Amino acid sequence: MQEKEVIIIGGGAAGLAAAVACHQKGIEDILIIERGDYLGGILNQCIHDGFGLEKFNTSLTGPEYAQRYIDKVANRKIPFLLNSMVVGLTPQKEVVVVNSQGLQHYRARVIILAMGCRERTRGAINIPGARPSGIYTAGVAQELINLKNYMVGEKIVVLGSGDIGLIMARRLTLEGAKVIMVAEKLPYSSGLPRNINQCLYDFDIPLLLSHTVVDIEGNGRLSGVTIAQLGKRGGIITGSKRKITCDTLLLSVGLIPENELSREADIVLDNITGGPQVDERGQTSIPGIFSCGNVLQVHDIVDNVSLEAEYIVEGVVEYLEGKLNKEREIKVELRNGLRYVVPQTLIRVKDTIFSFRVNQPGEKKVIVFENGKKVIKKKFLRRVNPAEMIRVKLSSSELEGIKRLKVRLV
Amino acid sequence: MHREFVCIICPNSCRISVEYEGTNIKNIKGYECPKGKDYVKNEIINPLRVFTGSVLVENGDFSLVSVKTPSPISKKYLKKVGEITHRIKVEAPIEIGQVVAFNLLNKNIDLIATRKIKK
Repeated sequence: MQEKEVIIIGGGAAGLAAAVACHQKGIEDILIIERGDYLGGILNQCIHDGFGLEKFNTSLTGPEYAQRYIDKVANRKIPFLLNSMVVGLTPQKEVVVVNSQGLQHYRARVIILAMGCRERTRGAINIPGARPSGIYTAGVAQELINLKNYMVGEKIVVLGSGDIGLIMARRLTLEGAKVIMVAEKLPYSSGLPRNINQCLYDFDIPLLLSHTVVDIEGNGRLSGVTIAQLGKRGGIITGSKRKITCDTLLLSVGLIPENELSREADIVLDNITGGPQVDERGQTSIPGIFSCGNVLQVHDIVDNVSLEAEYIVEGVVEYLEGKLNKEREIKVELRNGLRYVVPQTLIRVKDTIFSFRVNQPGEKKVIVFENGKKVIKKKFLRRVNPAEMIRVKLSSSELEGIKRLKVRLV
Repeated sequence: MHREFVCIICPNSCRISVEYEGTNIKNIKGYECPKGKDYVKNEIINPLRVFTGSVLVENGDFSLVSVKTPSPISKKYLKKVGEITHRIKVEAPIEIGQVVAFNLLNKNIDLIATRKIKK
């Protein structure tokens, strides 16, 4: 059994930022464990630009953004393992790793979960029909096209308007494919408005809201899909079915935090976010196990992943110094309009960043924080959108004397 | 003429509404920073986008290297640049920022690598 101060599971955007932040705070005995054969995770296949506007005040591509952190890890000589899969995690903070050297056992004082998320597949949304080849999740198609030099198809329908689907619609068009349409089951897009603009409208790709795929055809290879329009309650509108000839269907229908290891360690998860329930510095239900990035909650932009990783490291440092003592436990109570909140509980009075997502789009809303019946903070939002995470910071003075914390959207 | 734009410069996605005639802006509102105003001006005169894509690598640890234009180019050239990008090959090693193609379409459009490729 090898002992470590901090073990970080995952060498993507969250894991790298957490490692660098730990090292900056004087923690040197760190190990990053990455299952892929390079650091940077999913950023490597996100070759489009628009990353880093908040963090670096410039527009970078994914690989460039990743390289900034990979360089920092290299300059600080932070150790990492590649091609190494964590296959076991215990509440005692023991980690079992498998790689070409065989099985290795570690124990750490702190574990940072930074495993990211994965895509929902056809199975998760139960599309009926044949089971031919030519059906990909958008992120897999992105990896094949951008890293493996493998073109996925020529005539493409995208189901789901998540950001990766929108980015891939543009990417495939620039690679010479015909993207026939993007169909979205909801009456609003689940991607960022700027991506609808620059990925679809720039290339005259239609976005069909309240539409979904109801049948798949193909013997061997996909030969077509049937789409239908959905009514207000989500049922198929009679007579709206039509067949679309295509050879490829891309799915961009949501992301799921990858928490198999967390479950194995009996970490309490949040049903809505799919990530661990955490306190104000990302500490899970097991003291000394922290979580950040997409494994905690799915983010819209990578800058916020890096910022979140740096922010939870404040808690890591306090824990290692024996200063992270639970003073109380206040559950953050959500009222109407809000789908989830991170953190779910507060154990101390600290400056705290709350992240929210709303249930549906709206304009001119106010997010209200109350201590019992007393309003302690209000933030005006010109517009809200489920695709855009809302982040609000409350200072320790605003949270002073808190007994019950209720948050609502009005 | 009246049009609504969604600014693509940052994730704020500001909705900007403009009154204009030809390329002459009469009234503009809804932008939260000067970049939004510039974005809309460009959209009316000559829409600009950064092109990103990938080109083939020879003798590298990856078969592709991701590339971008160092500055935004006219939107109307995006597809043509995409077609040309298919035919380019670069020899590893490649550094971030290295020019892998220059003066495409005789329009002063360069492509630079956005990823490190080892031999």
